[in-house]
Amino acid sequence: MVFDFFRSPGHSALEEVEAQLVEMLRDGHTVYVTAMEALFGGGKSKEAKKEVKTTDRGINKMQKEVRRLLMVHASVNENVDLPLVLTYMSVVKDIERAGDYAKNIYDLVKYGEDFSTAPDHDELASYRDAVGQLMLDAADVFEQRDNDAAQKLVSKADGFLDIYEDHVRMAYESDGPAAVAVSRALYYRWLKRITAHTMNLMTSLVMPVDQLDYYDEDPNDRL
Amino acid sequence: MPTWVRATLVVGLLYLFLVGVRLLETGVKVLGEDSAEGLFNGVTHPIAALFVGVLATVLVQSSSVTTATIVGLVAGGVLPIPTAVPMIMGANIGTTVTNTVVSLGHVRRSEEFRRAFSAATMHDFFNLIAVAILLPLELATGVLSKTAAAIAERVSGGGLGGTFDSPIKGAVKWGAGHVESAVERVVSNPTALGVALILVGVGFIFFTLVYITKNMKVLVAKRIEQSLNAALAKSGIIAMATGAVITFAVQSSSITTSILIPLVASGILLIRNAYPITLGANVGTTITALLAALAAGTVDGLTIAFVHVLFNIAGILLLYPLPAMRFVPVRIAERLADVAIRRRWLAVTYVALAFIVVPLLGIVVLT
Repeated sequence: MVFDFFRSPGHSALEEVEAQLVEMLRDGHTVYVTAMEALFGGGKSKEAKKEVKTTDRGINKMQKEVRRLLMVHASVNENVDLPLVLTYMSVVKDIERAGDYAKNIYDLVKYGEDFSTAPDHDELASYRDAVGQLMLDAADVFEQRDNDAAQKLVSKADGFLDIYEDHVRMAYESDGPAAVAVSRALYYRWLKRITAHTMNLMTSLVMPVDQLDYYDEDPNDRL
Repeated sequence: MPTWVRATLVVGLLYLFLVGVRLLETGVKVLGEDSAEGLFNGVTHPIAALFVGVLATVLVQSSSVTTATIVGLVAGGVLPIPTAVPMIMGANIGTTVTNTVVSLGHVRRSEEFRRAFSAATMHDFFNLIAVAILLPLELATGVLSKTAAAIAERVSGGGLGGTFDSPIKGAVKWGAGHVESAVERVVSNPTALGVALILVGVGFIFFTLVYITKNMKVLVAKRIEQSLNAALAKSGIIAMATGAVITFAVQSSSITTSILIPLVASGILLIRNAYPITLGANVGTTITALLAALAAGTVDGLTIAFVHVLFNIAGILLLYPLPAMRFVPVRIAERLADVAIRRRWLAVTYVALAFIVVPLLGIVVLT
C-alpha cells in the first residue's frame, strides 16, 4: 500500500520475477511428479486431481503476476534492461506451458491408463525420471544463473528430443491396440514438449533474445 | 552514478531551485514595482490569467516550474494574489498535456489507445471540472484565497504583505547573495539587473526541477515500482495517497501520471484504479510551491502556495466522495476516447485546441 513506498526495497523487481520463475518451475515439477505417480500405479484419486489442478492454477496466476511485474518495471524505469524483460516475458510462457503438459499427463490416468503393469514399463519409467530430473536441474541452473551448467543441460537433453519424436512415430506406425498406441504417442509427445520448453528456458541464459522459442523446431537452431 | 552521489546532487539541485525562487523575487524587487507591475497589467482578466497558467505550463512541460515561478512573482509583489489564483489553476490544467501526449504513442492499436487516451484525458477533465466549479466560486467569494491567507498567516505568524523567517530562507540567502553579486559584476543598470536576476532565477527553477525530477526518478524507481505494484488493484484513498507520495518524491505529477498510461494501455491497471492515483498526483505536486514559498519568505507567497494545495484538495472533496460525481471525468474521457479511436485525427486536434490554440486565443482576446 502507500507505506510500501517507505519500505526499503530489499530486492529489485527483476529479482522478484526470477524468484517467481523458479517457483513456477518447481511447482511444474510438483505437478509432473503427482501426475506420474498416479500414472505409474497410483491411479485416479481426488487428492492427486486436486493437487494437479490447484498447483497448475497457481502457476497460471504466477505467470500473470510475472507479466504484471515486468510491465510495471518497464513503465517505471527509463533505463530498463529491455532484453532481459523481453526474455522473461517469453520464458514465463515456456515455464507455464511445461506445467500445462505435466498436467496433461494426468489426463492419461483419467482415461484409465496404468503404466505400472505395462510391458515397456522400464523404458517409460526411465524417460519419466530423465524429464523429472531435467525439470529439477533446470530450476537449479536458472536460480543460480549458471551459464555453463545451462549449456551442459541443453547438450544432455538435446538427444532426448529425437528419441521422443521416434517414439511418437513408432506409436503412429504401430499395429498394436489403439489404446496402447495413443497413450504412448501422447506420453512421448508431452515429454518432448516439456523438454523443449525447459530447453527454451535454459537457452534464454545463453542465447540472444531473437533466438528464443525455436529450440525444438530445427536441429540447426540448437546450440 | 552511485546512489550517495545522486542523492547529494539532488540536495544540491534542491538548494539551487530555492536560490532560483529567491533570485526571481529579488529580480522583481530590483526592477521596481512600477516596471514589474507592467508585466502583468494586461492579465487582469481571470480567464486570461487561467490561460497564461495553462500555456506557460504546456511550454515548460511542468506545473512545478510554473507554480514555483508564480510563488516567486507573488512574493516579489509583482503578481497580485487574485491574478495568481487562476494562473495556479491553469497550471493544473496545463500539466495534463504531458500524459495526453504520451497516450498518443498508443494510437496504432485501437483498444490500447482507447484505454491510454481515456486514462490521460480523465486527468484533463477532472481539472477542467474542478476549475469550472472552483474558479467562479473563488471569484465570487474568494473562498480559496481567504482560507489560504488565514492558514498562511497562522503558519507564518505574519500578515498579508509581510514577511516571515524560515530556516530555508536563511540558508538560501547565502547562495542567492553569491549569485546576485556575480550578476551585479556583469550588469550594473538597475532595470537590466532586475531583468537578469529574473531570467537567471527562472532558469535556475526550470533546470533544477528538470534534473531533480530525473535524478529522483532514478533514486526512487524501486520504491515507485514497489508501491505501484501494491497499489495496482487498490482504489480510493490508498491509491490516492500512493499517487501523492510518488509525486512528492519525484516533484512531478507528469512523471506519475505518465507512468500510469502504459499500465492502463496494457490493461494491467484499470482506468478506475488509475484515477485516484492521478488525483493523488495533483495533491503531491503542490509541495514544490510550498517549498518555493518557504524560500521566498513572504506571507503572500505562502498564501498562493496554500491556494494550490487547497484547490487540489477541494477538487477531490467536491468530486470524489459522491458516487454519482466520482467517475464523471472518467466517463467523459471514455466517451472522448470512443470518438478518438474512430477519428484518430481528433485526438491530436483535441491536444492542439485544448492546450495551445484556445489558451493562446483566450490570452490574445482577453488581454
